[in-house]
Amino acid sequence: MQRKVTTVILSTLVIASLLIGFAGCGQPRLKVATTTSLYDTGLWDYLEPMFEEEYGVELDIIHAGTGIALEYGMRGDIDIIAVHSKSREEQFVADGYGVERAPFAYNYFLIVGPPDDPAGIKDMSPEDAFQTLYQSASARFISRGDDSGTHGKEKAIWASAGYDYEEVRTAGRWYVEGGKGMGATLLMASEMGGYTLTDMGTFLSYQSELALVPIVQEGAILLNVYSVIAVNPESDPNTNIEMANNMVAFLTSPEIQELIGNYGVDEYGMQLFAPCAGAEPMS
Amino acid sequence: MTELWDGLVTALKLIISFDPEVMAIAGRSLAISATSSTLAALICLPLATVIHFNKFRGKRTLINIIQTMFSLPTVAVGLFVFVLFSSAGPIGGLDILFTPIVMVIGQVILISPIMLGLTISALSGVDKSIADTAVSLGASRFQMAAVTIREARFAVLAALIMGFGRAISEVGLSLMVGGNIQGFTRTITTAISLETSKGDLELALALGIILIVIALIINIVLNRIQQR
Amino acid sequence: MALIETLNIGQKYGGQDVLKDVSLDIEAGEVFALIGPTGAGKTTLLRLLDLLETPAAGSIRFDGRDVTANKSLRLKARRRMAFVLQKPVVFNMSVYDNVACGLKWRKEKEPALRQRVNQALELSGMAQYAKRNARTLSGGETQRVAIARALAIAPEVLFLDEPTANLDPVSTAKIEEVLAHIIAEGKTTVVMATHNMSQGQRLAGRIGVMMNGRLLQMGSPGDIFSTPGNKEVAEFVGVDNILSGVIVNRDEELVTIDVNGALIQAISDYPIGAEVHALIRPEDVTLALHKDASSARNTFEGSIAKTFPIGALVRVEVACGFPLFAVVTKRSAEDLDLAVDKKIYATFKATAVHIIKRWN
Repeated sequence: MQRKVTTVILSTLVIASLLIGFAGCGQPRLKVATTTSLYDTGLWDYLEPMFEEEYGVELDIIHAGTGIALEYGMRGDIDIIAVHSKSREEQFVADGYGVERAPFAYNYFLIVGPPDDPAGIKDMSPEDAFQTLYQSASARFISRGDDSGTHGKEKAIWASAGYDYEEVRTAGRWYVEGGKGMGATLLMASEMGGYTLTDMGTFLSYQSELALVPIVQEGAILLNVYSVIAVNPESDPNTNIEMANNMVAFLTSPEIQELIGNYGVDEYGMQLFAPCAGAEPMS
Repeated sequence: MTELWDGLVTALKLIISFDPEVMAIAGRSLAISATSSTLAALICLPLATVIHFNKFRGKRTLINIIQTMFSLPTVAVGLFVFVLFSSAGPIGGLDILFTPIVMVIGQVILISPIMLGLTISALSGVDKSIADTAVSLGASRFQMAAVTIREARFAVLAALIMGFGRAISEVGLSLMVGGNIQGFTRTITTAISLETSKGDLELALALGIILIVIALIINIVLNRIQQR
Repeated sequence: MALIETLNIGQKYGGQDVLKDVSLDIEAGEVFALIGPTGAGKTTLLRLLDLLETPAAGSIRFDGRDVTANKSLRLKARRRMAFVLQKPVVFNMSVYDNVACGLKWRKEKEPALRQRVNQALELSGMAQYAKRNARTLSGGETQRVAIARALAIAPEVLFLDEPTANLDPVSTAKIEEVLAHIIAEGKTTVVMATHNMSQGQRLAGRIGVMMNGRLLQMGSPGDIFSTPGNKEVAEFVGVDNILSGVIVNRDEELVTIDVNGALIQAISDYPIGAEVHALIRPEDVTLALHKDASSARNTFEGSIAKTFPIGALVRVEVACGFPLFAVVTKRSAEDLDLAVDKKIYATFKATAVHIIKRWN
């Protein structure tokens, strides 16, 4: 008798956990590979239920750096990418992996650091700030080091400041390659009392946990544009192009553009993302 | 210190209140690992029996290789499974990357050597006369194998539980092939890694406590079994 | 047609011959005992007969069919037999479940299963232990469980390997009682290995003597004990007097053998000049203080070299030109007042001398 009860309880548990564990395996799904900066701000968590409701599809958000997201796209492992690295996006489309680049939001990168600004780079131009950091070689700089869009932007600033990135990487212990997502890199910079380059959205959403303040915010090079690109069905026949197109239409629709523009304003007192569908800002 | 303490208190509240997100993640972890353990057991038990009861060239070498694979790095298995099931890979057409299914496949690969190796040593620990006695009493080869497994049941069960323990505690593989998708492929370990990177220590701690409790239960059960 | 027939079977372990050229027929219903010293190959032969191993050479037929290699035939044949190992192991389950195993593997259904298991437990005197875990039993009880387990499947052939080795006398007696019961029923062919000759003699209808991997002699217990086929068998079955000599005279069946100058008369077919062993069982030698005119043809005068007691008997070594062993009861030893160096006459009949040819 006791055995029977145990069996019933056990099998109920097994069935229940299987239901949770494999729920949704058979449903239609759309796989989005997104840059961590969009994910860590919570924007996707905010938009996901709306999209799922409107289109009756399970949205799988896989957060990865821009580099990895592009790689997933090339391999055909996801249906659509949301990233922020214009030149590489254009290359991705030109190589036939993506259908079309659709910018939908932008903000600015900024250099953040300890409030006492040990390197004394406050309000310099991004290029000058990097030069000062390189020359002082004492204040820490934490790099994403993960081939993400933010990392790409950092490399672009080093190049614009007149440095070969390989030299910077190996310049000394002040230069730290974190190899982590944006949020984790911010936490790391805060722990180590160093500087880092971040997007505005992620910085704002993490600000309460950080001992970091904005140091450099001005400079054309700091423009940060987010785009979505549906994976080209000619490159990946399995891709869910129909739903990917729905996603592009969704993100660039006036209603959602407005929601993106207002996202986080109440919480942070300022805009995290500026909508820009159809009107990409140029630096 | 206060951060850790506050975190622990909030974490315990999350557990005690059966927070739906925490429970869903824990349930998913258990389900995926239990499924991979069951599948691995279904593969490894017969295979271990076949290897144990047959004489063939290279048997010793094979067992050595299996034992070497006990400590397969999870990320190596993850990379292998990713390349295999990626759309651009040899069986990418199945389109199961970033689903729990592929996580199960990866975990089966990861834990099979442990289950196989430990089951073989469990069977080797059984007095050879048991097999002789069974055969002399009219057991077929299958029945003989079954009674030998039954004799080694505690050691075999321990082998299976070890496999489950490795499956539920690994993170690299789940992250790489599962994609850590919220509500779909997010497990205890991948959630801990994400929440920690987000600085959300309460959820990470709650899940960590659950994982430790599971590990503790596994150890208690193992100890009980081994004492018999 | 015999139930089991082997033709020149042999077995090798690690390149070493452990069994060679054994040809043996076992008839349905008989009780056959293999006797021989430890390491003679008895266990190997039983394992081959029970089809636990396949022979390296030769063939085995069971119930008229060749079962040397065919797997499914071997399983079918094996299911008509049972084997109680020398050191029986029990499965880690209850005594009842242990005994039920063989029947379950044969897909026997309830209630017949329960009835047969209980019968076997009853017969082996283990009924009150049915619910105990078999691993908790003593050696003698384990042996009885093993026998019950074998009996439950009602085998046509029951193999027993040293069923009472390492058991105390009480357990031995219990086991022998069970075996005697099975034998008395006459339904089961029993093949047992034992190094205990008297057990073989008590239980078996026919005995085979094994040494060094060979089956040296087969016959009724009486034959084996009175007329061993060679010196080794003679030694093993307890013939203490093995005298080497040459036949020097013959008168019809009666021959005279010269043993170190002493002349012994015996019955034999061997010709004059044949080199032989004369075997005399010690219990066939009588001792007397005076030479009397009996019909016994062999009387030797000698002195007592040694005496020592074996249970209720006394073994006496007489020096009479050659060493001659005799066994007398304690009572007659006292009557004769046996003591070392005492003069004595040792007598045995010509028919008590068994002559075998000497090889080498």
